[in-house]
Amino acid sequence: MTPDSTPRSQLVLRALVFLGPVVALVATGPAGHGPPWWLVVLVAVLAGAAAVAPDSPVGVGAGLVVLAWWTLSLRDGIPVSVAVAAVALTVGHLAALLASYGPRAMPLDAPTLRLWARRGALVLLTVPGAWLLARVVRGEPEQPGVWVVALAAACLAILGATAAMDVPEPKEPR
Amino acid sequence: MNGWRPTAALGRALVLGSLGLALALVAGEPGLVVLAAPFVVLAAVALVHRPGTTPTVAAALDHRSLPEGQGTTSRLTLTRVEDVEYVARSAARPPHLALRPSHGQVGRLLGADGPPVVEIGAQRWGIRMAGEEKVALYAPWAGFRCGPLHLPADPLRVLPTTAPYDSRAEAPQPLGLVGANRSQRPGAGTELADIRPFQAGDRLRRINWRVSLRTGDLHVVSTRAEEDTGVLLVVDALADQGVSEGVTGAASSMDLTVRAASAIAEHHVRRGDRVALRVVGRGAEQVGYGAGARHLRRLRDRLATLRVGELPEAETLTLGVTGGAVVIVLSPMLAPSVGTIVATLVRRGVSVLVVDTLPPGAAPAVAEGADPKVAALAWRMRLIERSVVLDRLGSLGCPVVPWHGPGTLDDVLRRLARRARMPRVVSR
Repeated sequence: MTPDSTPRSQLVLRALVFLGPVVALVATGPAGHGPPWWLVVLVAVLAGAAAVAPDSPVGVGAGLVVLAWWTLSLRDGIPVSVAVAAVALTVGHLAALLASYGPRAMPLDAPTLRLWARRGALVLLTVPGAWLLARVVRGEPEQPGVWVVALAAACLAILGATAAMDVPEPKEPR
Repeated sequence: MNGWRPTAALGRALVLGSLGLALALVAGEPGLVVLAAPFVVLAAVALVHRPGTTPTVAAALDHRSLPEGQGTTSRLTLTRVEDVEYVARSAARPPHLALRPSHGQVGRLLGADGPPVVEIGAQRWGIRMAGEEKVALYAPWAGFRCGPLHLPADPLRVLPTTAPYDSRAEAPQPLGLVGANRSQRPGAGTELADIRPFQAGDRLRRINWRVSLRTGDLHVVSTRAEEDTGVLLVVDALADQGVSEGVTGAASSMDLTVRAASAIAEHHVRRGDRVALRVVGRGAEQVGYGAGARHLRRLRDRLATLRVGELPEAETLTLGVTGGAVVIVLSPMLAPSVGTIVATLVRRGVSVLVVDTLPPGAAPAVAEGADPKVAALAWRMRLIERSVVLDRLGSLGCPVVPWHGPGTLDDVLRRLARRARMPRVVSR
C-alpha cells in the first residue's frame, strides 16, 4: 500500500455511503413511484460528495431528498420497499460514520467493523417493527389530541437533544 | 479544539430522525416512521453515551536515539478515558522515516491492548522529527469526538549505521602509549624485531638459548613496541551529491561518507586507537582525540548531527593534525578546498589517504529553470576537474580509494606504513 492509497475497507465503506441513498431513492420504484432521472442524479451527486467527505454535512442533503420523495410516494400504502429503503439509508449512514473515524488512508480494523455490524443489526431490528406498526396505524381514525401530544413530544425531544449535545466542560482539579 | 464535539454522524441522525418523524406527523404518513426509526434510535443511543470527562493525550517515543535501519515505537498515554471507545491516530510522514501500520494512519477500539501504537523505522542518519500526529477520540456510538488533537514532533537522533568494515593493516606511524599497532621502536611487544647480543637490563626470559648456544654469547629476542595511533577523520560535508533512499536504497555521497566514517571510527576505537573528527562543512563540527566506547558514541552522535553546506565565510579550518596521526579524508572530492587541504597535508609529510565517496552514477539536482543540457555539461566539466585533482594527489603520493566496505583501506595503509619507514624530505 502506498502512502496515499485508499485501503480496501475505506473503499467498501465509501461505496456503501454512495449506494445507500441512491438505493433508498430507487426503492420507490416497486411502489409505483419511480423517481425522475434528475432526482436520481441529484441524490447520486450528493451521495458521491458524502462518500468523498463522509465527515461533511452534505450527506444530510441526500437523506433529506430521499425522505421528501418517500413522503410523496407513500400515498397508496406502506410497501415492503420502504423497509428496504430504511435499511439502505441506515447502512449508508453507518458506513459514513465508520469512514469518518479517520483519514481516507486509515483502514478500519476487523473488531471495529464487527462491533458496528452487530450494532447496525440491532438498530435495523426497529425497521420491521416500525413497518408493522405503521401498517397497523395507517387508516386508523385520528385520535383527538394527538397533535398536541406529538408537538409536546417533539419539543421535549429537541430540548433533550440540545441539553445532551451540550457537553459540560470538566472542572479543573484544585 | 480540545473538548468533546458532536460528530457529523450524530447531526445526520438527529436531522433525519427528527425530520422523518415531523414529516410523518405533518403528512399523516406513518410509513415515514419506518425510515426515521433507525436514525432516532442511533441518535438517542449516542446522546445517552455523551461523555462527561475530557481525556488528556500525550505521545512518547520509546527511544530518543537509534541506529539507521532500526525502529522505535510511538505510544499514546491517555488519561480519563472512561468515555473513550475508539482512538484514531494520523501521523505525519517526515522524510526518511517509515511508519507502520498503514503509514501511520491507524485506529482501534480502546480495549485491554490500549491505544494503537505507531512503529517508526529510521531509514537515514540525522536528526529526524518523529511523532507529529493528530489524535481523535470517539465516544461510544460515535456521537461525540474529542479532537483531532495535534501532538508535536519529538527529535529522534538517528545514528549512522556501521557499514561492514574491517582492516588488518597496521597504522603507518603509531606514536602513542598502548595499542595494537606495531611500532617502529623496540619495546615489549609480540612482533619479532631482531635477535641481538645480550645487554645489561635485558630480561632473562627473552634470552634465545638456541642462538646463544650456537654462537657462544648470550642473545636475546627483541620485539617491537605496540602502540596506539591517532586517526583523524576529515569529513567533507560541503555538499550532498546523489540521491539518498535510506539505509536499504541508493546512497548519496553524504550517506557513504558518514557511514564509512562511522565504520572506520568504530574499527579504530575497538583497536584502542585515538580517533578525532573534523567536519568540513557548514557546522564545522569537531571531536577531539579520544578512545573508548563513550568516545565512539560521541563521534557517531556528531556524525548524525552534522550540517551539510558551505563553510561560513569567517570560518578558518583548523584540522589539528598531531604527530603520528593518520588522516583519513572522506570526500567526493568535488570541492577544490578539500583537494587543497589534502595536498597541503601530504606535502607536510602527514600520512593522508582519501576515501572517495562519490557514488557511481551520481548526478546533481538541476535547479528549477536551469537548462538540463547546460547542467549536464557543467557536471561533466566538474567530473573532469575532479579526475585532474585525483591524479595530482596520486602524483603527490596520496592514495585515493573508493569506499567498498571491508578491506577498503588495507592495501593503502600497508603501503603508507612501508613508506613511513623510509627516509623522506618534507616541507614545513
